[in-house]
This record gives sequence, structure tokens and C-alpha cells, in this order.
Amino acid sequence: MTTAAPRAEAYPALGRVRRGRGRPVRAGGEALYAWLLVPALVLMLVFYAYPVARVLWISVTDPSPGLGNYALLLTSGAIQRMIWTTLRIAAVTTLATLALAYIVAYALVFASEAARRVMLVGVLVPLWISVLVRAFAWVALLRREGVVNNALMASGAIEAPLPLIWNEFGVAVGMVHYMLPLGILPLYAAMRDIDPRCLAAARGLGASRGQVFRRVFFPLSLPGVVGAGLLVFIFSLGFFVTPAILGGGRTLMAAEYINLQIHEIVRWGVGTMVASTLVVVVVALVALLGRFIDLGRLFGGR
Amino acid sequence: MREMQTLDPTHRPAGTQTFAQDAGEIAADLAARGGPGLSRRQWLAACAALGIAPGALTGGARAQGAAKEVVLANFGGDAVKAMTEAYVVPYERATGGRLVIDGSGPSNGKIKAMVEARNVTWDIVDSGLAGTGELGPLGLLEEIDYAIVDRAKVVPEFAYKYGVVNYMFSTVMAWDTGRVKAKPTLADFFDLRKYPGKRMMRKNAQAMCELALMADGVPVDKLYPLDVPRAFKKIAAIKDDLLYWNSGAESQALLRDGEVAMGWLWHTRAIILKRDTKGRVDWSFDGGLLQPGLWVVPKGNPAGKQAMTAIAAMQAPEGQVALLRSMGNGPANPAAEPLVPDDLKAIDPGSPANAAVQAKIAAAWYEQYGAKVNGDFLDLISS
Repeated sequence: MTTAAPRAEAYPALGRVRRGRGRPVRAGGEALYAWLLVPALVLMLVFYAYPVARVLWISVTDPSPGLGNYALLLTSGAIQRMIWTTLRIAAVTTLATLALAYIVAYALVFASEAARRVMLVGVLVPLWISVLVRAFAWVALLRREGVVNNALMASGAIEAPLPLIWNEFGVAVGMVHYMLPLGILPLYAAMRDIDPRCLAAARGLGASRGQVFRRVFFPLSLPGVVGAGLLVFIFSLGFFVTPAILGGGRTLMAAEYINLQIHEIVRWGVGTMVASTLVVVVVALVALLGRFIDLGRLFGGR
Repeated sequence: MREMQTLDPTHRPAGTQTFAQDAGEIAADLAARGGPGLSRRQWLAACAALGIAPGALTGGARAQGAAKEVVLANFGGDAVKAMTEAYVVPYERATGGRLVIDGSGPSNGKIKAMVEARNVTWDIVDSGLAGTGELGPLGLLEEIDYAIVDRAKVVPEFAYKYGVVNYMFSTVMAWDTGRVKAKPTLADFFDLRKYPGKRMMRKNAQAMCELALMADGVPVDKLYPLDVPRAFKKIAAIKDDLLYWNSGAESQALLRDGEVAMGWLWHTRAIILKRDTKGRVDWSFDGGLLQPGLWVVPKGNPAGKQAMTAIAAMQAPEGQVALLRSMGNGPANPAAEPLVPDDLKAIDPGSPANAAVQAKIAAAWYEQYGAKVNGDFLDLISS
């Protein structure tokens, strides 16, 4: 902030400042702050709100006006199957991610400062690797003559290669790997906020380690679990690359279905309908998320 | 972080790749190995001979004031180079006009968006039956003007209302000779007891239904109208052992890495596989399906009838033979046949000898049922 910022009276920057006989009056500095929002708002309207509105519009007008496309949600077995596949894979991914992420976050919270730094780097590095590279790395590991199967065969543990890829198992492995940082970081943030004195007090009152975890630590970490779970679930709903590569063509999820409808089969009405449905589901889930945890905090706003 | 932005078809790993899309990658592959593709030096020499900057052809930018400039859209990669060699030179010799190649990837969806926004920048698009089948009925394509485009210079069954053949390709069977000792028949593809191991097909109904029906004993001349339920039943019987490829490169990797014992794929990829594996993977045109790559013209294209003139110029056989050498795409003009050198005859999908052992795709059927059968096919394999 290099501009000469208005002083004290401007600090309640959002909302109105009450003055005099209680009538809301605009403070001089407040208007300035409001203007600062304009470029971002315009950007959002032009490049986000307008295209999304267009997508919604196409979904009720192409090929003919009405809710015919949305009726497919109820009548088309193919679309229902695709949505069921999407929800199932997203749910499996979320549960597996949460279980693994909880362990890592727990270890992070109770690690020494130096160890934590190293561990955090380990958590963050995968985020910087392209999703494509990671998917193909899993192909190299899991395929019929891949690293895992070859090692198991050589050690005599198995007779024939295990079907580790080209199925929903392979998709789940790839997606959980991608989602882990997104699960670990919110969980870690939530766990770090748990007052260690509560744990010490519980121990002091005679609780065993297991009881402290079950009755104090775990309940206090639950908002983090719900937040991380919803975050991972929402991201999983829109997954495109990983299922397409690791699924062997047999796992058709929403994002790929939309792509097919828009680019190849050119049934834009159906494609935009599925996209709009996805948006509605995600908005509903975010609203739900807002009830459980402080969204601003989850995304580092505060 | 979110990965949905990969909807750009030129970079997408998923969504089913079309043959035209794959062709660009193949030319790049051949050139990278010092194969028969156009070398960088040859390419620069060709550009110099034409008196143009190499970038000018690929940028897709339209020169000011060139009224009759024609823009040809394909799927990029080295298909830009290969098509420049094969088509730009003959066109400019024949007409004196300019032909610009835009490799930005003209998916059906992009053509629809362009035509509906009345902002068409492409005159000719490298497409296929999925293009004419989906876009033609929606009124998004110009009719081919056969007063300008010469019907005599194409195989008659591949000259359509909304598209005309530009090259030929085939869907063929390839197999891993390590696991399939004798040359298999189409029926062997479905015989898991005789030849254990996974199978592979394209994630698209086109050609897969035809090969499944032929494997089930339907004679070549009785293929159309396709008995879709019968084809689906045949495919469903081995569904647990089937993998589906999206892109040509994927089909190549699955066979090369030993993931599958047999697979149905494009002949262009089969050629590379046989060479790369030194014959461990073999293939044959027998029981394949001959398909046309098509030129289509988006409705309201900027150069108007000049697009038809350019298509006519690209019917010259010499350029088509050049395309066979650089990309493996077979000539569409029967007059190219005597010009095909001996070393390329075996891989030319449309040559009389090779065409005789294959079925030919029927466009009329796909115009009517293509979108539906493809949707049903996706449903079949993902359920």
C-alpha cells in the first residue's frame, strides 16, 4: 500500500461506518477500497461469470429450449452410470486420501522442527510435477511388465502379473497420489491449531495415550477432516487426465464425458448440462463445507 | 492445480483422438528417427524455393490483402510439414494463390463454435467420417462442389456431399508374435483360450463394430447396415480382457510394452510398431477396414469457392505419394497407384491388392447412426 491511506476512520474497510444519528454514511476511504475491488470483479464477471452463464444457457437451449437435457439425468442409463462412476471413484479416492493424509499430518504435527521441514518439502514437491508425468510414472510402475509386477514375479511372490492398472484400482492409486497434498495440508493446519495443553491435561487426569487420541485429539481434528474430505472430493469430481490414462479406457468420468460431448459428438446441450450439474454439485458442497469450517481460514485468507 | 484445463484437443491426452490428429504425431516420429520423413533441411529448402519464410506457413496468420488465400486446418505436429510438401507446392503451382496451413487442431466442437459465431477462419479442414457425420446434418459444412473437385480423381464411394477423400487409412489387426505364434484371424481376436492375453481396440465404435462383425462371420458385402447389437454382444463377451486406446501413440505403447497380445489399430501405427520391435509385433491388412480421411469445408468459409479449387489442386497424385512416404497415409487418387515406389506398395492401404482383402466403410450409415452408436459404445465399455 504505497498510496497515502486514509487513517483511523477508514479501517472498518468493509461494511458501512455508522455516524451521527446512526444513519449509515459512506466514509471517504471506504469508497477508495471499494474501487480497488473493481478490476478483480470485472475480470471475474467477464472471464468467469459470463462463460459460466453461457454454459448454463446452452444447456437449456440446445438443441431446443427447455429442460430436455436435464431430463436425461433421470432417463438416460448411460449418463446415470457415468455420474455413478464419477461419484464412486471420487468417494473412494476421498476416503483413501483422508486415511493416508491423516497419518502424515499427525506425524507432521508431532515431528521436530527440522524433520517437519523436510517432510513438508516431500509433501509439496509432487504438487509441482505435471499430472501427466505422474500418471505415466504410475503406468511404468503398475503395468503388466512394470516395476512392481516384475519385482513380485522375480521374488516368487506371485505366479502371474497382478491386474494393478487399466481398472478402477489403478485410477484410484493415481488419484490418491495426486490428492494427498490437498488432504495433508488442511489436516495439518487443523491439527496444529489443537491446543497441546488439552492433551497434556487429559494425560494429567489419567487418560491413556489411546484415550487421549480417541476422546480429545480426534474430535478436535474433525473439522479439518471434513474440510479436507470435501476439498478432495470436489477436486476428484472434475478429474480428467488420470482416469483417462490409468483406466484403460474403461472408466468414463464426468470431465471426459463433457469433453467428448463438446469436441467430438457435438451435443453441446448434453455436455453443458453435465457441466452445469457438476457446478451445482460443487457449489452445494462448498456451501456445506462452509457450515463445518471457516473457508477463509482453509484457503489461508486469515 | 485442477486439471480440467486440458480440454485443448491438441494437448489432450484423453478424449478419443482422430486419425488426422494422430497423423501429425507419426510424421514427427518418423522424422525424429531420420526415417523417410521430410528433414528440416529439405523443409527449409522447400520454403526457400517458394520464397517464403518457414514460419509464415505454420503461423496460420492471414496475409493482408491476399484475397484468395486459403487456410487449411490440420492437427499440427509434423503433419504441417508433410502437408506443406504434399499440397502447398502443387496448389501454388496450379493456381498461383496462397495456401496456409494452420495446425491448431480443428475438432468438431471448434468448427461448430466458429460457424455459429460467424467467425470462420478455416477454409479446408482435415477431418473424417466423424466430421461429416456429426457436422453435416447440423448444417455446419459447405457441400463439396464437384464441378470443381474432380470425382474421377477419387475412389467413387469416398466422394460425399459434405466431404471428399484426401487420403486413405486402415484399421488393422496387429499381434505380438511372442504370444501369438501363427498369423491370427479376426475370430482369434475373441478366442482367449487359443491365445491368452489382453486385447486392445479403439475407444470409438467406428471400425470396431465392423471388425467384430467380420470376426463373427458376417461377410464383407453384408456388413451394412451394421448389426450393432450383434457387434456389441461379440465385444461384450471379452470385455474383461479388453483395453481401449484414445490416441495412436497409446495403441503403439500397449502393444510394444507387451500389455496386450493382439490389438486393432491404425495401419500407420502398425508400420512403426513392426519396425521398432524388429518384427516382434506383426500386422496385416487382412480383415481390416479401409477408411477415408476427408476434406471438409466449414459453412461460410472466408475464401469461398477458392477452397474447392485448392481441394482440386491437392488431388494431384504426386503430392499424395509424398504423403504416403512421410506419414503412411495412402493416396486417394487412383492415378497415384503407378507412382507408388515398390518399397511403399506393401503399406499403401488403398492399393488394389491391399484394398481387396479389406472391407470399406460406408459413410451413409454413419451419417445416420454414428453419434448414437458411438455413445452406446462408450456406455458398453464403461459399464
